[in-house]
This record gives sequence, structure tokens and C-alpha cells, in this order.
Amino acid sequence: MKPEFDELVERHSGEIFAYVWRMLREAHDAEDCLQETFLRAFRSYERVRAGTNYRAWLYKIATNAARSHWKRRKRSETYTIDLDPELQAGGMSVADRVEKKALLAAVMRAVEELPDQQRAALIMRKYQELSYGEIAAALECTESAARANVYQAVKKLQAKFVLNEGGAR
Amino acid sequence: MTPNMVPEFELDDKVLKALDAVYAAPSEQVTKQAQAKLRRALMAAKGKIVYYGYAPRTRVGPLFVAVNDRGLVALDFGLSEQEFVARVTQRTKATLIRSDDQAAEALKQVQEYLEGKRTTFDLSLDMSRMSEFQRRVLGIALKIPRGKVLTYGDVAKAIGKPQASRAVGQALGRNPVPIVIPCHRVLGSDGSLHGYSGGGGIKTKAWLLQLEGATLPQ
Repeated sequence: MKPEFDELVERHSGEIFAYVWRMLREAHDAEDCLQETFLRAFRSYERVRAGTNYRAWLYKIATNAARSHWKRRKRSETYTIDLDPELQAGGMSVADRVEKKALLAAVMRAVEELPDQQRAALIMRKYQELSYGEIAAALECTESAARANVYQAVKKLQAKFVLNEGGAR
Repeated sequence: MTPNMVPEFELDDKVLKALDAVYAAPSEQVTKQAQAKLRRALMAAKGKIVYYGYAPRTRVGPLFVAVNDRGLVALDFGLSEQEFVARVTQRTKATLIRSDDQAAEALKQVQEYLEGKRTTFDLSLDMSRMSEFQRRVLGIALKIPRGKVLTYGDVAKAIGKPQASRAVGQALGRNPVPIVIPCHRVLGSDGSLHGYSGGGGIKTKAWLLQLEGATLPQ
């Protein structure tokens, strides 16, 4: 039996929002992208077979929607400061703040430079806690390709930040 | 090291913390707001989606039905899929999506009816796009029992507008769900079949009345 579409909305809209939020890191884009995802899903739900992994199917649609948003948008680094509660709260020495901000900006740049598939896979695995099977379904690739995407993403980050004890290069 | 042995996310602590900050979850408030907007967008979309399906061979030719959340929106027969889609799109301004699942129940009931295996319908109807006048006229038609007929004048009287036979005829002629709303049970005041806007015209009207065992005035 296929669940009612509204049930999928109840069950998954929160995590899909977190996912597109992480992919786009901008509130309006994330809201738009959430709507696009579920409207697209709603229109094609009829054609989805019962027993499909609906969660992975929604992530697939969300990934595609986020990708088109991503393409439309100029890359930007303007959000770094709001990112970290510690930075916002203050109470750190100036040197620490500067270092931390620089590291944040560098990490952000590094993940933005990752190929789309790798960034999406990294977010899905580490922050959305999808299984590799689900990531594979969402990215329309094999499970080993899904693993390789996460692996490559982590490896690239390791390579970027290994020299300087975690400091930004 | 193969990907299968990934010690996942083995990164310097500071880098990992920065990554966590970059990918911090949205707040509950922001999420709730986004979900509320999503629900509104979906509600709007639902009213604008009509599903349709068809039975290629029935006693009255290819038969199409269109349904939405409220119920049956349109029924037509003896025309092509493109014609049906164009007509319903124009009338409802909705997006039509082929869905044999959604259309199944209405198609089944109408086919059973045409094959003489069913005498009444158990379907909800979406009459929201009709004028008040047409709703009342079709409401009267719905109450005519199988095997019985009324005249346009009878219907006009029944809605309290005895002078409105012609308008009644037009309202019946624009019945979006013939057969299910039995506009074929309404005849000219002289007992003639008068007209039928469904596929096959008067012949179909006569055939439906015969199927129902109506005694036609000579």
C-alpha cells in the first residue's frame, strides 16, 4: 500500500528542509527548494511504485532541485559570520576569532569546490544520516559510487587542511 | 585504502567543528515556517490537478473520466484523448495528469452501468465549477430515477422557474458528467428526445433510455 502523499509530507518535510538548507545555506532558497521538491514529488507520485524507498526518492528530487538553485546562484561567502554561534556570541580573543573565521571561510570554500555529487553525498551521509543504499538511490548511482563520493569528499577536505594543523591555507 | 574502509569523516577536530558549523541544522522555528509555506503551496496545487483515465472500448465508444480530490470532474465519450484533455483543461484551468489508479473507480462503475450490471452510482461529484442555476438543474436530473423521464418544462418547474425551459436545456447540455448525472432522462415537452450533447448524440440518448427500460412516450 502506498502511503497518502500528505503522510510523506509529515514524515519527511523536516529533514528534506534541513537537507536543502545545508545544500543552499540560504533561507529563501531553501524554502523555495523545499516547495519545488514536494510539488514535483506530488505531481509524479502517481507514477511511483508502491514499496519504493520514498525517503530516497524525495532526496533525489531535492538534490536535483537544489542543484538547479545552486547553478542559478553566484557563489558567495557572505554567510560565514552567522554560521557559528561561538563567533556571534563573542567572548573569544581577537586572534581566536580571526583564526576561526578564516577556518570557517576556508572550509566553506572547500565544500563549495567539491563536485555536486560529492557534496550532496557528504551532507546526506554525515548530516542527514542516510544509508549508502539511500544515497545511491538519491544520486542514481551504485552503492559503491555513493561510498566513493563520500570518501572523495572527505579525502579532499583532509588534503586541504592537513598541512597546517587544521589552519586555513 | 578502499572506499569500503573509510574511517568516515576522519578530519582534524577544528576542521570538523567548522564543517559542523557550515552545515548546522536550521532552527526549529525556521523549519516550521518553511513547512507551513509548503503546506499552503501543496493545497493550492491540489485544487489545480485533475487526474484522468479512460476505457478504450465501451458500449458508447472510448470513455474518459477526470477526477480530483473532490470527486468526478468530467466524463465524456466518443472522442479522442487529446480532445478530452483539451476540453477539461479549458473548463477547469487545471493540469491534467493521466492516472489509471485515480480514475479506476469511476471508470469501473460507468462501465458496469453500461453493461447493465449496475443501476446506480456511488461516486462523489465535483460540482464546484458550476453556476448555481446549473447546479440546481443537474440536482433535479440526479433525482430522476432510472427508467423514468422528465421534460425540460418539468425541470424548470421543479427549480421554481417555469419559464426557463430553454435555459434548463442549455444547462443540461453542458452537463460535465453525462450518464452519471442522467441528463438523458430529460426530454422535450412533446416527448421527443430533443437533443443530447454526449458522444453519439440522440442515438446514445435513446440507447441509454432503452438500457434503463424507460418507456418513451410515442
